[in-house]
Parts: sequence; C-alpha cells; structure tokens
Amino acid sequence: MATKKPQKKTVKKPAKQQTGAAKSAEKVPMRNPDFPVGVDYYPLDEERRSWSDWYDRDVAADFAQMAAARISDVRVFVSWRALEPQVGQYDEEAIGRLERIMEAARTHDLKLIVCFFADDRLAEMNEVPWGKRRDARTDDYLIQREISLVQRIVNRYRSEPSIKAWDLGNEAFCSGFETEAALEKWVTELREAVREVDPDRPVLLGVDPETLLRETGVDPRGAIDLCERAWSHLTAPYRAYIAEGPVTSGPATYTDSFLLRAALRDLPVVVDGIGVHALDFSAAEEAAYVRTALYSALMNRASGAMLRRWRDLETEKREPYFRDPFEVLVGVIDVTGTPKPALAEVKRFAAVAARLDPRRYALAPERAAVVIPAERYEPLPSLAGLYDPRACLQAYIAAKEAHVPIAVVREGETLGAYHALYLPSPAALTAAMWADLGAFVQGGGSVVLSYGGGDVDPALREIFGVEFLGDSGPRKTFSCRVAQPGMLGDLRSFDARMELPHYALLTASGATVVATDANGSPLLTVNQYGQGKAVFIATPIERAIAQNDPWATPTPVRHLVRTVYGTVASSAGAGAMLECDMPDVEIAHFLGEDDDILLILSHNAEKTTATLTTPRTVATVQDVRGGTPAEVGGKTFGVPLGPNGVAALRVTFG
Amino acid sequence: MSPARSSQLLIAEDLARRGQLPAAVAACYEALAINDRDPFVHALLGHLMLEGDFYDEAIAASTQAIELDPDCSPAYLALGLAYDRRGGMWDQSVLVWHELAEVVPDLVIAHVQLGEAFAAAAFEEEAVDSWKRALELDPKEARAHYNLAIAALKHEGMSTALPTIRRAGELDPSQDELFFALLGLPAEQIEFDIATVKPERDARLFAAGMLLRGEDFFGASDLVRIVLDENPADADALALAAYAYLKQEASNEAMACALRSLTFSADLPTALYTLGVVYSRFPGLSKHSARVFIALAKSAPQHSLTHVLLAESLLGLQRYGQARQAYRAAVRLDPACVRARFGLAAVRLTEGGYAEAQWEIRRAAYYDTRRQGNFWRMYDAYAEGGDA
Repeated sequence: MATKKPQKKTVKKPAKQQTGAAKSAEKVPMRNPDFPVGVDYYPLDEERRSWSDWYDRDVAADFAQMAAARISDVRVFVSWRALEPQVGQYDEEAIGRLERIMEAARTHDLKLIVCFFADDRLAEMNEVPWGKRRDARTDDYLIQREISLVQRIVNRYRSEPSIKAWDLGNEAFCSGFETEAALEKWVTELREAVREVDPDRPVLLGVDPETLLRETGVDPRGAIDLCERAWSHLTAPYRAYIAEGPVTSGPATYTDSFLLRAALRDLPVVVDGIGVHALDFSAAEEAAYVRTALYSALMNRASGAMLRRWRDLETEKREPYFRDPFEVLVGVIDVTGTPKPALAEVKRFAAVAARLDPRRYALAPERAAVVIPAERYEPLPSLAGLYDPRACLQAYIAAKEAHVPIAVVREGETLGAYHALYLPSPAALTAAMWADLGAFVQGGGSVVLSYGGGDVDPALREIFGVEFLGDSGPRKTFSCRVAQPGMLGDLRSFDARMELPHYALLTASGATVVATDANGSPLLTVNQYGQGKAVFIATPIERAIAQNDPWATPTPVRHLVRTVYGTVASSAGAGAMLECDMPDVEIAHFLGEDDDILLILSHNAEKTTATLTTPRTVATVQDVRGGTPAEVGGKTFGVPLGPNGVAALRVTFG
Repeated sequence: MSPARSSQLLIAEDLARRGQLPAAVAACYEALAINDRDPFVHALLGHLMLEGDFYDEAIAASTQAIELDPDCSPAYLALGLAYDRRGGMWDQSVLVWHELAEVVPDLVIAHVQLGEAFAAAAFEEEAVDSWKRALELDPKEARAHYNLAIAALKHEGMSTALPTIRRAGELDPSQDELFFALLGLPAEQIEFDIATVKPERDARLFAAGMLLRGEDFFGASDLVRIVLDENPADADALALAAYAYLKQEASNEAMACALRSLTFSADLPTALYTLGVVYSRFPGLSKHSARVFIALAKSAPQHSLTHVLLAESLLGLQRYGQARQAYRAAVRLDPACVRARFGLAAVRLTEGGYAEAQWEIRRAAYYDTRRQGNFWRMYDAYAEGGDA
C-alpha cells in the first residue's frame, strides 16, 4: 500500500527540561551487571615461555587496565599440569598464582570465570605427564582425576566472591570429543562434581552448538543443556565456511548475532570470542568489527560478551609460520601493553550498555523466526548440512534488512511463540514438520518456504496451494515478472545475472501467482490456508544468494527477498515496530514505560543517514549517555551513522 | 597405465560434469564404500566440495587423494584453490602451488596462483617472479597482468599501474563483446555468405557487425560503405566504421567517424564506446574519456563493462571515490567480472582499504579459476596416465 511519505523533521532546539530518565541516567553504574563485558585472559603472553610459567606474572596491572576499560568479567584457564604435577599432589605455588589472580580481581572489582579444561595451543594445560597420553575426555581414570581436581578447586574457593562461574571446558578442548554420548557423560560427571561442593554458582560449557557441530560432527546441545549458561562462539574455520569476506560489511557483520540467535534456546547465552580472525584488517577495521559484534550481542538478547584475547602473544623471532598468526595478534592490547582501538570501542560500548537497565527496558519480542531444518544435522554425503546454515544466515540477514525482529529456531522446536516463519531452501522437511506447518498456518501463522530442490511433500499442495510438476534444473539468470503488484509489497520485475541451482515448475491449484519468471512459470505464490498465509518461492533463493556471492548479490534480488519477508511478517503481526529506509541498518527497540531506547547499528562500511519512522509522534531524541535532548515533534527523524556506526538513542513520545 | 575406474566413479564423474553436485557427491560416497583408497574418487570429491564452496571438506578430500597418490595433479589443483578461496592459509597454499608448478611446469594457473599466495604472504618479489613466469608461458594471461599492475600500484602508484590495468583489460575479450552486445548482435556467431546479404540497410549493418566480430574488416567495410553511400548521415554505420578503424589501430579515423556518428545520434552507445576507447588511449585526451564513458554508462547501464570503462577513466583522473562507485556498480551487475574486481582492488588499495582490496583480488581469482575449468582437463589427463 502506498503511503504518503512523512516529512522528515530536523532537530529544532534543545528541550527545556530533561526527562526523568535523563536525570536518572546521570547516576548509571560504570558497567551493566546484566550485560557484562569480559575477556579471555590466557596464561602465557610470550611464546618462549613454557607450561610452568602458567600465570607466572603480575596480573594486577592488566586487571587495572581492564577495569578502566569497564570490563567486568575475566575468564582464566586452569592448568591441570601445573596444579597437579604428580598424581594426587597439588602444587601450592601454582595454587598461589591462582589466588593472586583472585586477589587482583577483588581489588579491581572484576569477576572470574574459571575454566577447568582448556587448550590454548601453547601452555599444555592438560598434558599431565603421568597421564601417559590417555585421552582426558574419555579415559575413566583421568576423568576421576579431573573430578578430584575440580572438586579441590571448587571446594577451596566456593566462598570466593570474585568467582562468578565455573566453565568445564573451552571449545578447543571439547573439539576432541568424538560422540555426543562421550561429551554428555563427561559434562554430567564434571558438573555433578562441581555441584557436590558448590550448589550455587552457574556451571557452563564454553562451546557453541553450531560451530562445534561443524568442526567435529558432534552435536553438543544435549551437553550444553546440562549446564546453566550457554556460550556462543564464532571460530575462524566457521567464519571461513559461512561468511568468508570483509568483516566490516555484508554477511560477516551478521554472523556473530546469527550464531547467538541459533544458540539461544532456554539458557542465557554469552557471546564469546569477539575479535578478528584474520590479520588482513587495519586497526580501525578491527575496531569496527569489534563494535559491530558487541552491539549485535546486546541487540540480540545476549547475556554478555567476551573478547577473544586480552594481550597479543609475543612470538619468538623466528621464520614466519611457526605459529598460527591468527591466534597471536588478536588481543585488545599489544605486546607492549598499548591499547588498540578495539579496546576504546569496548569502553564506549560498556558505557552505553550500562544505561540499559533490563528492569526498565525490554527488547521488543520476536514474533518471526528462521527455521533451521532438521536435515542440517545429516552427515555427508547429504549436502544439506553444508547448505542449510548458509541459507539460514541469508534468511536471517533478509529479515534483518526488513527490520523484522527475528529469532532462529530449529525444526522440531515449539513454534507457538511465533506468527511468521521462514524456511530457507530446505531440500526436505520431516513429516512432523509438515504437520506442524499445516497447523501453524491453519491457526493464523504465516510461512515463507523456498524450494530446495528434489521432490516435494504432498502437503505442499494442501498448504501452499501449488502443484509441483518437477525441477527444471539450474539457471544462469534470475528473472522476475510481477503479476500481482502490491500483493507482497513493492515488488519489481527484473532480470539479474545469478545462478539458481533449482527451479520448481508449478501450477497454482488455489494459490495466487504473485510473480513469475520470464516464461510465465510461477516464481512467487501466496495461498490462504485456514487463518494463515503460505508463501512459496519456486527457487532456493536464500541458498542461491549464499552460494553465489553474498557480498555482490544483485540489488533487485536482495530487494525481492527482504520485501517478501517484511511484508509477510507485517501482515502476520510480526513485523518491524518502526520503519527505516536503510536495509543495512539494524535496529533494536527496547521498550520502556516512559521512554524507549533504540540501538541502531550500521552494517555498512560507509557513512549513511538512516531515516526512521515511528507510529507515534516522537517528542525528543537523546543520546543514552546523556547530552541535550533534541526535539523532533514528528514521526520521522534522521540518524547520521558513520562507517559501521552506532547510535544509542533514548526516545520519548508525545 | 592408469588404474581402472569403478562404475560408481564413472557415474559420479558423469553427474559432476553435468553440474549435479549433490547427486555426484552421493555417487562418490558410494564409490568410496567400495574402495576408499581410490585417489580418483577423493580428487573428484575434493573438486565437488570446491564447487560447493565447502573448502574444509575440499581440503580434506584433496589431501587424502594426494596421500594416496602424490602424483595426483588434479587434487593439487583442488587443494591449492581450496586453500586460496578459504583464506588465511597462504603458507600451505604456497607449498601446493609450488609443488604443482614443478609437477606440471607449463600450467599457467599454478604460477598465477603461486604469485597471489606469495603476495598475500607479503613475499612481493617472489610474487612478481611468478606472474612473470606465467606471462612467459601465456603472454595473454590477464590475471597475471592485473596482479603485476597491483604490484606496481603498491610500489609506484596509480600512474604506473593504470597502463597495465588497461593493457590487461584490452586482453580481455569481453571488451570487444561489449561492443557487439551494444550493437545488438546475438551471442553466437552466425556463418553466412556476404553475397547473400539482403540489399537492405539493417541486413547489411547486421552482416557488417558479424564480419567485424570475425575480424573480417574488409568485408565489413564494403557493407558499411554501401550503407554510407546511400545515407552518409547513418549514425550506426559510422559507428561501425569507427570500430573497424579502432581495431586496425587507426585512432584518428576512428575518432573522426565516432564523432561524426554522435553528431547525428548523440547517445548512440556504439559510437560512445569507440570514442571513449580512443580517448582513453591518448594521454592528452584521456580526461575526455570520462565524460564519454559517463554517457555510455547512462545509455547502456545494464552492461557491467560500461561501468568498468567509466571507472578506469575516472582512475586516470584520480577520482577514486567515483571510480569505486562505478566499479561496484559493475560488480553488482556481474560479480564474475575479473576486470572490475581488480579495478576495485586498485581503488581500495589507493584509499588504504587493504583488506577489501585483498578480498577483491581473491574473488577475481575465484571467478577466473571457475571459468577456466582446469580441473577436468587435468583430471582427464591424469586418468589417461599423463600429466595435465
């Protein structure tokens, strides 16, 4: 529906009186205890050091610098080898180092997350010489020794106020598990060991359910569910798989939040490992990426964020390639202790996050979700496990570009909380999912399903109102001819050079054909089914975007996807709460009683101005960190954003 | 003598050659179930995973093939490409391309890729040597020229790099194809007898265009002359004449014909193209080429190369921001446009965007190596028991 474009308001004059919220904002804490920013603090900062030098340094200066940067949490890594050099004999000197860390944490009001079993590729923390090279993950004797170590530490420090949580193992350690059963058994035993002596502090497993699955084929969700906190963690190999390319634009800027959303189920999730994974970038680009990742976490329901490394590792002056450079120069301070621009970003972010009191502001609920198909968990030779995450990321980005508050769920999970679902290019859905989809649409939900190749389920005809005649195979050109303008938003006809892996030949058997290809074969159909709406796209469009070049997707193709997604969500009551004219600007809307907070993040490496339109008249807009509120007096206002820029605005209505 | 290939493998090959990736992968796994030590299957699987952009899987399969047969050259190719496309594995990449360049010394791509791997690892001199070696083997290897231009840009600036970028562009057959696309000729070449051309203007101009594409300049000139004899103000015929002169290095005549054509049809794309190309070849006139190419990009915006030509003319004027916009427009229209990718890389390097420049070079390599289709040539040669 065409709407009259509202006139954009400019800032007129400062409001005479500050709101009550603005006044109270002056007393905000340094950090947000509900959204702590932390950092991984590794035992060795110099390559020439050996395992025995585990945390053998004065940490107070580092902790002081962390506190000054508004960092709240520090993850430290236990060295089994240093603490238990002989079976059953614990090294008091090593324990003393751990206590010095705790003392420094107390002094600077930092909280520690103690990780028991970690691999950092340098400190040999789990290589106990008496272990005789048995696998610490599966060997019953070693597991018993692990339990003894864990209980000893937890028991000794169960009343230590600086310790916030117990982390059983990091991703590098857990990637050694070969089966779900072995991982769950290990987690169960270790967790019970902690619980016997410390019933209160949360226990977590520092792995991401998606990246670990990709790395090892082991699905860790069952093990994660045994704990009280979950972890989301983008790794370098996963980034190379899902969104290899520049980190300040395009898909790479959405990957952290996509993994976060995929990890969000029942447990609070901390986004870990924030930092670059390649050394191609300038310090400014690294800072921009860190900023994007931090804000993405806050805007997508994370419970905190952890930086990848505190200090760069000082390597030995040897030939290149002795160590993986991507594990070396990824700290937020360099080897001399000089802060990098990324650390300044952290400090600025923490200042903004401190203003977001979750008791006063709640993120607008997500009523739309991208569904990860169950086939994603199929091993090779099924390629679904390789195609689907990429397609889901593209669907997630399209929803974000349409400014739809979006969640990520998996096939088989409860769908009742949602009004709109996107199923991006699945090759097959289970019979149960088809039944769930039927019930979902019957009950008033809206679904967008894109064809994923191969045969289709007979339920397609019933729910989507189309008759499947076969797969016409790959195409080199993506053509769209709009047959029903306005029915699914402002769609436009186009021809774009883009490879499509499949194209479903369809006839409408009840559905309305909204758009066709150049030959008149349906491309986009809408079917009213029960109380809901079922939209079918005849080609795996999300997969095609992912498999072509997601940084150079033809503009009309992106426009098509986000228009369809946005229109379907809006008609289902799951759409954006406010309009924005810039697709690559992400908005998080925190609803308050007297005022709202908008976090606005640009996923573009160039300057831009986003024009926002709200359903209510905006009285004032103010930076959440303070300053003078600007009067708007209209429904539309512009927000200038720098390259990968962010704005955090307190908005009052009147 | 090469070992016999199983029927399952032959099925997988057939599916792979027809582009049916999932079915081919499934067939490979069936072949592996019968013999998991067949290097052919692992090499093919590596290639298939590479086609799907699943680099870690491609690396695993190709490595396996090489372990089973250290002479499996197609596996080296897939492995090297997987390292390069994945990124962040330049050290391994250098080793693979170095190995392949020794196993198949006349394989041009191995030297080009080796150079790019060296460059990414900051071994600039070795990189330049590799590209020069590639050009010794094939003087028309465009990507080697582009890479040398980028190397020159890093050390000596745009003024040195730009002529090399243009030279590489001229080696690119797509620039001629742009002219014929602007002319409205079909993509495929049609054979005909000049004596049977209908005595009509449109038929003569169509035939002249076809003859020009076949580089039959005399035949084309005859037909164009007939049209101009009938109507000396025929803009299309003048534009064809201009192009014919351009291809014969008669720049002044080409310029005159193009300008004459534009006096009758001010936004005729074919005339704009020729005039712009002529202008860009003369240092004193190159500043005018930007204006001409702006007009061309406006009159034929659907062709990515019109934006590339505009961008290159803007590079010459050191208007890098506008050049970046034009290159990006070209990439959006055709992500596989190697020339636009390298041009964009040059602009980003000049602007200090090293990471993005590196990315554009890698994407150029991605599309170029996909287009070349070297794998099957090497695979077939390997299957016959010889080198590629």
